Amino acid sequence: MPGIDVHQHLWPEPLLRALSRRTQPPMLVRHRDGWALRLRGEPEAPLDLGDHDPDRRAALVRADGLDRAFVAPSLPLGIELLPAAEAEPLLAAYHEGVAALPDEFGAWAAVGLDQPDPEGLAGLLDDGLVGACLSADALDGPEGFDRLGAVLEALDRRGAPLFVHPGPAPGADVERLPGWWGALTAYVASMQTAWHAFSVWGRPAHPGLRVCFAMLAGLAPLQRERVVARGGPAISDPDVFLDVSSYGGRAVDAVLREVGVDRLVEGSDRPVVGVTDLGLGDAVRTALRERNPARLLSPTTTEVPA
Amino acid sequence: MSTVELDHDLDLAELRELVGAIAEEPDRWRPLVRPDAVERHFEQLVRDDHVDVWVISWANGNDTGFHDHDVSRGAVAVVEGELVEERLVVGGPPRVRRHAAGAVFDFDASHVHRMRQDAARPAVSIHAYSPPLWRMGAYVVGPDGTLQRRSISYAEELRPVEAVG
Repeated sequence: MPGIDVHQHLWPEPLLRALSRRTQPPMLVRHRDGWALRLRGEPEAPLDLGDHDPDRRAALVRADGLDRAFVAPSLPLGIELLPAAEAEPLLAAYHEGVAALPDEFGAWAAVGLDQPDPEGLAGLLDDGLVGACLSADALDGPEGFDRLGAVLEALDRRGAPLFVHPGPAPGADVERLPGWWGALTAYVASMQTAWHAFSVWGRPAHPGLRVCFAMLAGLAPLQRERVVARGGPAISDPDVFLDVSSYGGRAVDAVLREVGVDRLVEGSDRPVVGVTDLGLGDAVRTALRERNPARLLSPTTTEVPA
Repeated sequence: MSTVELDHDLDLAELRELVGAIAEEPDRWRPLVRPDAVERHFEQLVRDDHVDVWVISWANGNDTGFHDHDVSRGAVAVVEGELVEERLVVGGPPRVRRHAAGAVFDFDASHVHRMRQDAARPAVSIHAYSPPLWRMGAYVVGPDGTLQRRSISYAEELRPVEAVG
């Protein structure tokens, strides 16, 4: 079985070009010493274009001992939240770009949230995208599941999975807060919220949908006893997966105790973070990189422990 | 009862009752049996907050090696063939029990044992563990005769690399 990383980011050349043509954030600006990324409400951050070089990144996939990596849209840029007319060229550039990446890559489709387009998504799945990536904030309650119901239905109908990823952190006091603040506060809270929301509103509406939550869903599975203590549902959902991005052996082993090894998948978040050796043994490594991603990504390889 | 979520970890009697009940429902486990298995083959029937249940197919010569189940207790129903269980005895030969089809046996979390299959006919067994398996201990005798324990994930035992096809 091929070794798979379900969670990387790579801004392909057409997207870089489209971002550099913009005059409003999100945008890329060129300075004498290189490129920089400008996001709304955040100070300009230098951008290393080498991080988004497809050949270099393909070599890293191999160096990580993997065969394929799936690129997800970088939701924290906020592209999906732009008015449809502004978002559309950027989303099209992303989709055009990821389709032309080397064989080491597949990709998750991006979905504009101003005017979600289930037919457009169906076309992208026909073109070979593996599933769709939506932000945790967009799926934080009943309205989100209503609004995106047709999108989730389009995935469900085709047996294509959903990837839930943090969206933009809310405007923060960037002068005073460390760079990791949002990743440990807003991201964690939004992923936990989306995890609970999926069990309450997502699963009943989409019984067959396979879902992967990034970053161990902010460790939401560890809230299990509290969920039960407060009268929440005590269900196990074999079609919900978690990627391990930014976590190490201790957190992964703790979540593994709650959900079992069959529901964890490798997701590195490269280039933000690299692949980590979890130190949990070859069987766990093989389950996370081979067996479980095959079950998440392809309905034809289902072997579902009930 | 095996499809009903329980609100507590199971004791040995409940585990025995669970594997015994599943053993009597061959429609549930027979499709998961691998009669042609060369290595032990594992299929998970249930994993919830309190119990995990496995169907294991055994071929001649399969051997778990001595192991423990950390904090989990367990019960096994042998539904086809015969299994040999050996308990580690310090300073003496292992204590051997044979479990033929129809037998149900249990073990507490403190139990260190080894299961093997030494007959020509394949064996099939239903295993339940509560709380669900997490860490396990795998034992080997070192070159100097000392007993060594290695902490492993349950995946090492029940989702081994070899079984990934």
